[in-house]
Order: sequence, then C-alpha cells, then structure tokens
Amino acid sequence: MKLSPYYAYAKKCFLGRSAYRFDHLMNILSTCLQIFIFWGIYRALYGVNTEVDGITLPMVTTNFVISMGLGAVFCTNDYFLPDKIRDGSISTELLRPISFPGRMIAENAGNALFNLIFRFAPALIAAVLTVGMSAPAGPAMLVLFLLSALLGYGVLWAISFAVQMTAFWLVNIWSILTIKNVFVNVLSGSMIPLWFMPDWMAGVLRFTPFSSIYFTPVQIYLGQLSYPEIAEKCAVQLVWIVLIYLAGDMLWRKGQRKLVVQGG
Amino acid sequence: MLANLFVPRYEKKEAVKDISFSIEQGEMVGFIGPNGAGKSTTIKMLAGILFPESGEITVGGFVPYRQRKSYVGSIGVVFGQKSQLQWDLPVIDSFELLRAIYRVPETVYRKNLERYTEMLDMGGFINQPVRQLSLGQRMRADIVAALLHSPKIVFFDEPTIGVDVVGKETIRSFIRELNEQDNVTMLFTTHDMQDIEKTCDRLIIIDEGRKVYDGTLPGIRERYGTTRQLDVEFSVPEQIEPIEQVEIIDLDHNKKRFVFESHSVAINDLMNRLLSRYSVRDMNISEPEIESIIRKIYNGEVA
Repeated sequence: MKLSPYYAYAKKCFLGRSAYRFDHLMNILSTCLQIFIFWGIYRALYGVNTEVDGITLPMVTTNFVISMGLGAVFCTNDYFLPDKIRDGSISTELLRPISFPGRMIAENAGNALFNLIFRFAPALIAAVLTVGMSAPAGPAMLVLFLLSALLGYGVLWAISFAVQMTAFWLVNIWSILTIKNVFVNVLSGSMIPLWFMPDWMAGVLRFTPFSSIYFTPVQIYLGQLSYPEIAEKCAVQLVWIVLIYLAGDMLWRKGQRKLVVQGG
Repeated sequence: MLANLFVPRYEKKEAVKDISFSIEQGEMVGFIGPNGAGKSTTIKMLAGILFPESGEITVGGFVPYRQRKSYVGSIGVVFGQKSQLQWDLPVIDSFELLRAIYRVPETVYRKNLERYTEMLDMGGFINQPVRQLSLGQRMRADIVAALLHSPKIVFFDEPTIGVDVVGKETIRSFIRELNEQDNVTMLFTTHDMQDIEKTCDRLIIIDEGRKVYDGTLPGIRERYGTTRQLDVEFSVPEQIEPIEQVEIIDLDHNKKRFVFESHSVAINDLMNRLLSRYSVRDMNISEPEIESIIRKIYNGEVA
C-alpha cells in the first residue's frame, strides 16, 4: 500500500497529540473557561436590555462560542518553522522529497482534526447546555457555515504561514507573532463582535483579511447574510487565502537562499 | 557594544571558497578538514539544503539546490550530530513514516529493513523510543533511516561521532559492505582518521574553505610523509657526532631518535655509519602515521 506522505504526517501529528492526555483535558477546561468568562462579561454589559443595536445576547454568545471554538480548532503552530530554523533541524526537513508548505498544512490539519474532536466538541456541548447560544439558521446555512469555516481556517493558516517565513531573516520572531495574534484576536471579532465596531473601523476592517476568519462563518450561521452576500464573502475569503499564501510562498523561496543552518 | 543595537555591523564570512572535485559512481571518498574548514557547508550544498552564491554543483544529473524536491529522493544523508528520527516514537515508527515520505514500495522497504537491521544488529532496540537509545544505537538507527529508500548516493557527515570503538567498527564495516555490494557512491566526513583508513580509497582534504589535497591514502604518505624516524638503542651511553640533515633527539639515556627526510638522507648510509662507529643494540625505523601528517597539514606545516 502506498501511503501519501502528507497523510502520514497528519496521522502522526494526530496520534502524537493523544499522548498527552492531561494537557488536552486542561485545554478543554481552558476553552470552556474562556467562553464562560466572556459570557459573564457580556451578560453583565447587557444587564436588563434584550438587545443593543439590534444585536441580542444569544447572538453575541453565539459569536464568541463559535469564534473561540474555531480558534481552539485552528490553533496554528506558529513556531513550526521558526523552531526548525533556530535549532537547525530545518536541514533534515529540506532533505525530504516533499513540499515543505504541504508538510506544514498536513501537520496542522492533523492537529486541527484532533482539536475539533477533543476540544471543540466538548466545549460546544458545554456551551449549548449552559450559556444559551442560538441555533443555526437552517440546514442550508449550517452547510454553508461549515464551508466558510473551512475557508476561514485557510485564511488563518495562510497568515501564520507567511508570518513564519520571516524567521529566515529574523530567526527570533516572537514579537512579530505576538503582534499578529493581537490583530487576529481583536480584529477578527472573536473578543468584541464586529457589529459593535465604529463605522470607520468596520470600513477599514473590510480591507483586511481578519474579518474573513471567524466573523463571516458566524454571520452565515446566524442567517444574517443573503445567498449573494454569502457567495461574495466566501469569494473574498478565497482571494485572501490565495494572496497571502502567494506572498508566503515567495518569502519561502527567497528564504531558502538566505538560509543559515544553525549549529554546524 | 550598545551602538551595535542601533547600527549593526555585518561581517561576511566565506565558509567555502573555491572547491572543485568530481566523484565517480561507486567511489568512496573521505572528506576531511579541521573544524570550521567548510565540510558541513559543502555537504549541505551537495544535499540541496544550502544555495551556493556562485559556482556549479551537479549530483547524479541533478542541480541539488534548484531541483531539491526531485533530487533529495535519490540521495541519503546522515548527519551524525542531528537525528532525523522522531524523538518520542519507537524507531520502527520513524521508519514507517520515512517509508511514506519517500513512497518506498512495501517489498523494497521490508527487504531493506531486514537486511540493514541484521547488518547493524538492531533487532534489540527497534521497538524502543528514540529518546531511550544510547548514542551508538541512535546513530545506527539514523544510518538505516537514511538508506531505507535505497539511495545510490549517500553523504555521511560524521557518522561515528561519539560512538565507542566497537560501534565505530560496526558502522565502518557496514559502510564498506554497502559500498562493495550495492555500488553506492559515498562521501564521508569525519575527524577519526581510522574511519578513513578503514573505509575510503580516496581522500579530499579541505582547510579554510579551500581544497588542499585530493588523492589516494597511500598518495598522501608519498607526498607529505617523507619524514622517517630511526630509533636506535645503544649498548653504552654514546656521544653522537652531528650528522648533516639529520635531527638527533635524546630519548632515554641509551636511546636516540634520528629524524630525517627520506629523499635527502639515504637510510643505508645512515645505518652503516651508526653500526660502524657505535655499539648498536637495536634499531627500529618508522613511517609517520597518517594522523600526524594530517595534523601537519591542518597546522599549515607542509605545503
């Protein structure tokens, strides 16, 4: 039987994760805690109001349950390449007759699948039972939501991929990654729903990839978008994936020429 | 010091300057040089990991750095200092992963695995996690890992580093056998001259990024090892008169060492002279060890 190398990497990563049981129990707990904390905050903010600017508490709750849940699934390993450059194991990677970006996607997909089953699912069940989130706006919307969530993952992965490539020049990119994560967390609407952003900010954000990550899937889930709008937003997601990936791929090609293998 | 933070100064170091050589199929070449000579850099360029700034490299019809993906499937590389095995997994799991990565057909994989584990005596630890292996065991596992896809060209970068005498011998005979039976082309870097003496027919020495020697192992003796030493034990303490072009060193009270160049002093004349004038009990002539010649080359004592 011929096993695809990428599938093998994904499988290895999936199985490797299951080795650390305590760690993933704690991860489930941390995702649940995050959701409860935000729920507490928003419940207090809403007070006796049932809606603010036409947005109800269940909608807000749905937003952060889904975006934090997806965040836990997507959880890209931003140090994949930087670590390999720092300790020199990049040289072993380059000896493999496979595409390195392909390998990165494979590992991440293995990880994401693990997270989906063992982190997102338990947290979602906990959320549905306790904090009262909205149901999806219908079976069609649920399917489109899943599609859009997959594209959102693509956008997030592409951003991480492109940012990691700077490690070829900078080696230590902790600070850049931190800035990236702040942008992703705040501007994607996962902490503060983008409904509440001032108009000028929303205008600016339309020209960034961040709202494509979680907010588009959430809007589809809640049935806030018409079919043409969904098509448009998904196309935007796709365009971002391609653009950012191409930028990252260019850095990857240039970076290989700059490569310094650390440690002899 | 602090100024460096704002206005960094860069110094460009050339690791490899001007090295040219070609290796025929089935050759086994030792590639040596002192630390920092540019050996690993050269190997990494040959393996398609690093891009040369100038010059040309062709290995087995490929340009390594341009056709990396298709090229690396046809070579094997062992970095003695960097394991390519999965730290947390049993050795066999890493092998399975490599089988998938290199798309090795099942039958070939089984055959190679069986043969190599037998040759390197690995049966005892193939199911153990890599982190529990001794350095010698890990090295053997790493060597097998690099060969599972039956490469015709193999680079060994210090495959015996940190391995004990017995382990080294196992690795050497394995490498020799592989070269003889499968006609695998090999380039081999090491700091242990015994590795070279026991495995390689040809030797390339580089220093400071330049090639200083390229030829056979006996050739190096002919070229640089012209110094001979004659150790003589006398029956009684003797006062030796100075001899032209011969350096005389006192060893013990009755022993002296005569060091000379074989092309400038005839050994017969020297021995006759000593035998006729002094009471000689024992004589012993020796050629320099390869190791000491190499040391002289590294130190720049011979041109």
